[in-house]
Amino acid sequence: MSITQQVLPIEQAARIVPRTRRAWGGGAQRGDFYWAIAFALPYVGVLLAFVVYPICYGFWLGSSPALYEELFDDPTYLTTVVNTLIYVVIGVNLKMIIAFLLSGFFYRKSWWTKYLLVIFILPWAMPALPAFLSIHWLLMGEWGFLNALLHQLFGFEGPHYLTERWSGVLSNISAYNWKNTPFWTLIFLAGRMAIPTDLYEAAAVDGAQRFQMLRHITMPLMAQLYLVSTLLATVFALGDFNSVFFVTGGGPAMSTEVMATLGIRYAFVLGDPPLGVAAVLTTLPLLLPLVLLLMRLLRKQEMQL
Amino acid sequence: MSTVSRRNILAATAGLAAVEVLGRPYIANAQAKTATIWVGQGFVPQEDAALKETVANYEKASGNKIEYSIMPFMALYQKSISALTSGDVPDLIFSDAPTVILPVNAFNDRLADMTDVVETQKGKFTETALLSASFYNGKLKKRSYYMAPVKQASAPFHVWGDLVTKAGMSLADVPNRWDERWEWFKKVQEPLRAQGGRKVYALGLQITTVGPNDGNNLFYHFLIAYGGGNIVSKDGKLNTADPKVKEAAIRAVEQMTRAYKEGFVPPEALSWNDADDNNAYHEKLFVMSFDGTLSPELAVITKRPDDYQNNMRILGMPTGLDGKPVPAQVGAGGGFCPKAGKNTAVAKDFMKFFITPEVMNANLKGGLGRWCPSIPAVVKNDPWWTDPKLDPHRSIYVQTTVLGPTIPNYIGFNPAIGQVNAEQLWGKCHANVLKNNMTPQQAVETAFKRAETIFNKFTFEG
Repeated sequence: MSITQQVLPIEQAARIVPRTRRAWGGGAQRGDFYWAIAFALPYVGVLLAFVVYPICYGFWLGSSPALYEELFDDPTYLTTVVNTLIYVVIGVNLKMIIAFLLSGFFYRKSWWTKYLLVIFILPWAMPALPAFLSIHWLLMGEWGFLNALLHQLFGFEGPHYLTERWSGVLSNISAYNWKNTPFWTLIFLAGRMAIPTDLYEAAAVDGAQRFQMLRHITMPLMAQLYLVSTLLATVFALGDFNSVFFVTGGGPAMSTEVMATLGIRYAFVLGDPPLGVAAVLTTLPLLLPLVLLLMRLLRKQEMQL
Repeated sequence: MSTVSRRNILAATAGLAAVEVLGRPYIANAQAKTATIWVGQGFVPQEDAALKETVANYEKASGNKIEYSIMPFMALYQKSISALTSGDVPDLIFSDAPTVILPVNAFNDRLADMTDVVETQKGKFTETALLSASFYNGKLKKRSYYMAPVKQASAPFHVWGDLVTKAGMSLADVPNRWDERWEWFKKVQEPLRAQGGRKVYALGLQITTVGPNDGNNLFYHFLIAYGGGNIVSKDGKLNTADPKVKEAAIRAVEQMTRAYKEGFVPPEALSWNDADDNNAYHEKLFVMSFDGTLSPELAVITKRPDDYQNNMRILGMPTGLDGKPVPAQVGAGGGFCPKAGKNTAVAKDFMKFFITPEVMNANLKGGLGRWCPSIPAVVKNDPWWTDPKLDPHRSIYVQTTVLGPTIPNYIGFNPAIGQVNAEQLWGKCHANVLKNNMTPQQAVETAFKRAETIFNKFTFEG
């Protein structure tokens, strides 16, 4: 029996089912319904065990109001909130703009850009831990590669990147963006490739310049992809622990901590997991609207790309 | 010729059984059971091999079974905290330095009382070991033993002897007073730089604000040397109002930040993590540091034997301001049982076996002496620990860690000190002086104020 022969009776059966009111169980026969339940059960079980339970347990751990009093009493907390906002607002937007521009560069039809792209995505393919440890050593003021290079080439001593707050924050953002920009560049490159070339050809016939094509074709068509990607990147950045932990370690004087590293510090250095969970839960007012907006965008029927 | 009767055989069997039981009274042999234990991975493979042998010997002797998981220190630390929080625990956790885990969980009544284990060898332990194993239970409102101590470690001075010689100086001239020693080592920097060591520093002073441990340990030793060792007393009280403590803290911050400002300390030390100073030391980027255990030396024992034998040197504790030797603040390691463990009896029985001097000795020798036994008789009776001909570092380290004056880590006195350390309050003191233009007094007052707030969260009675 061919696939078509198998499918046709199902389609015919589907036409017979009255569509006016959706029956509980999707209108399936009792036997089919039980099969459906049997197939769904493992997924539901996994969902309950690995998604619902950890989330509920986390909320339970962080449910005591006393934890939040303790949290807000810690002078490091406010600094951490500011750092986290800088990390996600400035860091993420900078990364997405760079990724968008680079996707335009890699869209060029020359042969060497393909090879360059392979090299470019290496940071993303590398495991995070050795990458960030390498950056930590690279930036070490006295013996790091960067300052040694500056001394060799220009004869001057470079700054101490990891002993000042703002250079530390910048180092963390740069490390994180270095690691993740290639991924978003690839996403935007795929988006650009999905735009029909006819549009550009028609615009060229009408005498449009490159910037006008970018302004009136590329940007409008990629706007939704850009927005969804930026929201996703923001959610990822909020949960990032590796770059800060391995590049500055939250120093100097815990002035470059972000919420993920502070939460881990509370949980495993201080030995107080509920306080760590509470710290992370305070990102929810920022995180939840982002996720809701993201879900709303993804559920739209008409996607531009 | 006498014949062997059935009665003879029965008597002989009973006699052998009695010897077996009396010879190892600590082994609960009534019913074979299984205990699950988590163990921190050794610094060298021999350490893990020694543990496996100890487990095999115990299993053979007791009939009990030990299911062990060996994991890296940080993984064990995090897993232990998670387990104690969730209640899904092993029967025994064996850890090098469970600094925060023990006081916090003892305070919250999540650990089994280990007094019956400690009692089997109590008279043999150092007072420091016993104090390190004793914690306050906030529910029962009393102190008790929550760890069976096995090992202890201190921080010696680590010195590149060949760099000192290269600088035209001699280790034989190193002063035996705390302040004078630090000042003496500053003098090696200029001659070394004149010989091309552009980035060589005299002192690997970990005035770090990143932690987790080195900066706190260093500050406490400066504090002790200057007479402020009573910052936390045995009853768990914070004594920041004591003028002697405050004066010592100010002096400690002043001395350390001055060395930094004078350029004798790598500027990056402010942000060092626990590995950075070791890496820099191994690259000979500074001449002297004060750091925990023999790990800087043991890390090169096989790859750079010449450095281990001839170039690296360790120095014991000098005298403090009062002219007496500065006591080494000792970190302790051992085994502890979560209260929710299913086979605590077997786990405790295993620990009774583990803390017998013979087993303890064999096990710690496997670790090449990075950790010393908590029982002084062990090192006194075995020249492996004390004969300088056998190893250039170990005898000095043992003298500092076990035989010389020691005090326990403050963490046993009050869990609050764990939070003080985690917040890097002392590192922040240095940072406030160096980066925020505070005076040492202002920086210390700021830190003390925060420490008082933290200590107020833990109330002790009795």
